[in-house]
Amino acid sequence: MDARHAAAILARVNGSLRIAGIARPAEVEFSFEGRVLRAPVGESLATALLASGVLRLGEGPGAPRALLCMMGTCQQCLVRVDGRLAQACLTPVRAGLLVQAA
Amino acid sequence: MSVVRQRGRESAGYVFDCAVAGAGLMGCGTALHLARAGMRVAVLDRGAICREASGVNAGTLTMQMTRAALMPYALRAHEMWMRLPEWCDGGDVLAESRPGLSVAFTAHEAAMLEERARIRSKAGAPVELVSAGRAMEIEPGLTDRVLLASHCPVDGFASAYLTGRAFRPALLNAGVALFEGRAVRGVVRDAHGFTLETAAGPLRARRLVLAGGAWLEEMVGWLGVRLPIRTLINQLIVTERMRPVMHTVLGVASGLLSLKQFANGTVLIGGGWQGIGDRSRGALAVRAENLQGNVRLAAHAIPALRDARVVRAWLGVDAETADGLPAIGPVPGVPDAWMIGAVRSGYACGPYMGKLLAQAVLGDQPELPLFPVDRLLAREVA
Amino acid sequence: MTVAYDVAVLGAGPAGMAAATEAARRGARTVLLEENPQAGGQVYRAPPPGFFAPPDAERRAGDALRAALATSGAEIRTGHRVWGLGGGPLVPAGDPPAPFRIDALPSEGAPVTLEARALVLCAGTHERVIPFPGWTLPGVIGLAAATILLKAQGVLPGRRVVVAGAGPLLYAVAAKLVKGGAEVAAVADLAGRSEWARALPALAARPDLLARGAAWRAALASRSVPVLASHRVVAAEGGQVLERVRIAPLGGGDGEAFDCDALCIGHGLVPATEATRVFRAAHRYDRASGGWVPVLDADRRTSVPLLYVAGDAGGVRGAAAAPASGRLAALAALADLGVIGGKAHARARWRPWIEHWRAARSGGAMARMMAMRPALVSAIPAETVVCRCEGVTRAEIEAALDDGAADMNQLKQFTRCGMGPCQGRVCGEAAAELVAARVGGREHAGFATGRLPLRPLPMEALLGAFDYADIPVPAPSPV
Repeated sequence: MDARHAAAILARVNGSLRIAGIARPAEVEFSFEGRVLRAPVGESLATALLASGVLRLGEGPGAPRALLCMMGTCQQCLVRVDGRLAQACLTPVRAGLLVQAA
Repeated sequence: MSVVRQRGRESAGYVFDCAVAGAGLMGCGTALHLARAGMRVAVLDRGAICREASGVNAGTLTMQMTRAALMPYALRAHEMWMRLPEWCDGGDVLAESRPGLSVAFTAHEAAMLEERARIRSKAGAPVELVSAGRAMEIEPGLTDRVLLASHCPVDGFASAYLTGRAFRPALLNAGVALFEGRAVRGVVRDAHGFTLETAAGPLRARRLVLAGGAWLEEMVGWLGVRLPIRTLINQLIVTERMRPVMHTVLGVASGLLSLKQFANGTVLIGGGWQGIGDRSRGALAVRAENLQGNVRLAAHAIPALRDARVVRAWLGVDAETADGLPAIGPVPGVPDAWMIGAVRSGYACGPYMGKLLAQAVLGDQPELPLFPVDRLLAREVA
Repeated sequence: MTVAYDVAVLGAGPAGMAAATEAARRGARTVLLEENPQAGGQVYRAPPPGFFAPPDAERRAGDALRAALATSGAEIRTGHRVWGLGGGPLVPAGDPPAPFRIDALPSEGAPVTLEARALVLCAGTHERVIPFPGWTLPGVIGLAAATILLKAQGVLPGRRVVVAGAGPLLYAVAAKLVKGGAEVAAVADLAGRSEWARALPALAARPDLLARGAAWRAALASRSVPVLASHRVVAAEGGQVLERVRIAPLGGGDGEAFDCDALCIGHGLVPATEATRVFRAAHRYDRASGGWVPVLDADRRTSVPLLYVAGDAGGVRGAAAAPASGRLAALAALADLGVIGGKAHARARWRPWIEHWRAARSGGAMARMMAMRPALVSAIPAETVVCRCEGVTRAEIEAALDDGAADMNQLKQFTRCGMGPCQGRVCGEAAAELVAARVGGREHAGFATGRLPLRPLPMEALLGAFDYADIPVPAPSPV
């Protein structure tokens, strides 16, 4: 077992979905439905929510809001960012983002 | 192969009582009434039922964009739309009655509005002028930049895309032979009446109704009649579902905006802004500058629309005669041949027009006058 | 405000990057438009600024393409979302063809309109996920989606993951999950051993790909990950989010349950034809290439003059074939524009043509494994949602077909399937197969008419700043 793999397992055991061995910018705070969360600035909002344990982003007309394609085509990860409808997978995390279910 | 597309057995010599060329709202409505009166009717369309203007229009059921002359027809058609499931075997286009507002933003528009409201009211429409304040009470989502409005308490709208599905079972239940995907290429008069030439072989009928919408000009041309029909390529825009931002049917004095929000939250924006296309190529492309102009008018009227996302823009082919009035009545000089179309805001009046023409085809006096095209003709020299 | 170019390239994946590089280097005024903040497409997707991982072979290949592009002289407009296309043949009757018009939304600043004499479309593909019970549970993501998450964002989709579907992506994702520290509960491969065996001869010319695949399998074997050949996902189950996945042999049965918090599942890639459909270019149905594809000649010309398609948008052939495809399209555009002469074109095209032919062999074999599998659609239960945007179930689609809907446009009118914000991208394949089963094939089922906007467009962006007097109101009709 190499050091990197050991670090990854450690990260998993510690509860983080973020893969170890990757340099990331400093974390910033943002909120989802009033909960304060942290993520590296520039990470996609979809990823940041996933890594924070938020899978169910809201209720859509035909299915729950959730991550599906991660590339901006499926329109399933819709959320409200600072009041505006946005696709979480296309929105980079910035400090102070106010995110709500759409 | 799909089983439901063609109904009715037809031997080579079979002669229908009536053939209807065109399965839009006008053709279907006429055919339904004829079939229920006992005629053996065939309806043919090169495409699917109600796939052209009838299925892609804004679904506005308003008294406020209709020509004054059509007002009595629109009033009766409004009633028919609201009760569609009752007389169309459960067919439903989700028609709703809503208050309608036509608004003015400038002094010039206010003058236009006053004139139009007067004319329409005189023609029997329940239309009244209201102040800006009253208009905003009726429609809280309306901008405060409105100067004046005309109000009709019984406008409405329907989901036009449901029209084909709404009429299809009723037609089949009435014994209509519906031939979708069967283009009529020409018509010949003969001893039986008419022989329609189609890719799938000839079809014979004693009577003929031409209901081809924008393609009426080509159709009456088969019978040697020259009737110029102007083609319009209307643009429409729909948003994704959004929170309730309006509940009326909204227009502007010039007639260049139609705006409504459906029960599912989507907002439909129209008003006759033109795209690119023609009768031979069909509706081809949206004009981006007209997309912008139409949307600007809508957002000016209902500012909350700024929050929306546009999901789809599409086009429909509409038709107009030289004087803007419908082409409904006998084909001049050709016994047992009729035409119906080019109504302009034909969706609102559609069900009633079909009923009227059926009365004429059955040999009865129609309840209200038709719109015979002798007034418009340039007869081709034989 | 309109800016004019010789060649506009849409999409900065490997095909688009190579096309723009080739066109610019040969002297054409070239612009490359890309929605993402950096060039790369899906395969070579760059991580966000400030994120850094030790580069692998794939990252280095992407960097090389980006570097060549940067020095080519092409104008690179990243962060530009193209929503509108026009011009070309879309002109009033009797008018000559116009330059192509491109309407785009930058991530910062006002909307732009560009004009170009020639247009090279390199929009790639989107993922196909055929509905199954529980597929809308949060925690179910695509295979290509998992790739983006792992490679570009450096995050695991879950701690205990099931991977399912078909094609090489399956093993690439599973191996990457293991490497990243996740536990892979199972890999359910729709393909059996014989299907893989049939694909091998085409891979013989690519020992690098074979070695990579073997390494993936070895990584899974070393962690004792169960790899189930000829197996499918029967259901995803859970309350608010995914909790377990049921996997069964293709032959039948309720199968075995695997507890998990993520399911990465994909059923192939579908060429993006939104733009070619808007221009009413000719298309044909080619199941092995991913479905509907534009009709193309050997130089990537569509049936519309000066309109070209390169890369997977013209038929799935893989990332290795894409740059050559892009260069062929660029060369054809330059020849057709008169920027290069016929002899120069003939000399220049043979190398990319051979490169493409070679790469397309293995790429095509992999594409075949990712082609639509109709059995997956037949298996969709009646009450399962097919159109997620509008909540349309299989039962509602079948009822519409019973009522006479006979093609995709009619199905849309009867059910609203495809009218939501995804514009039919997620539901389209499953819906089309359901129609096809009734009307005798995908050719008869057709596809929905191409429309603008190409993606949902925020009203704000379309409005701009205006006064009421600015609105060019056409003449009103008489009363």
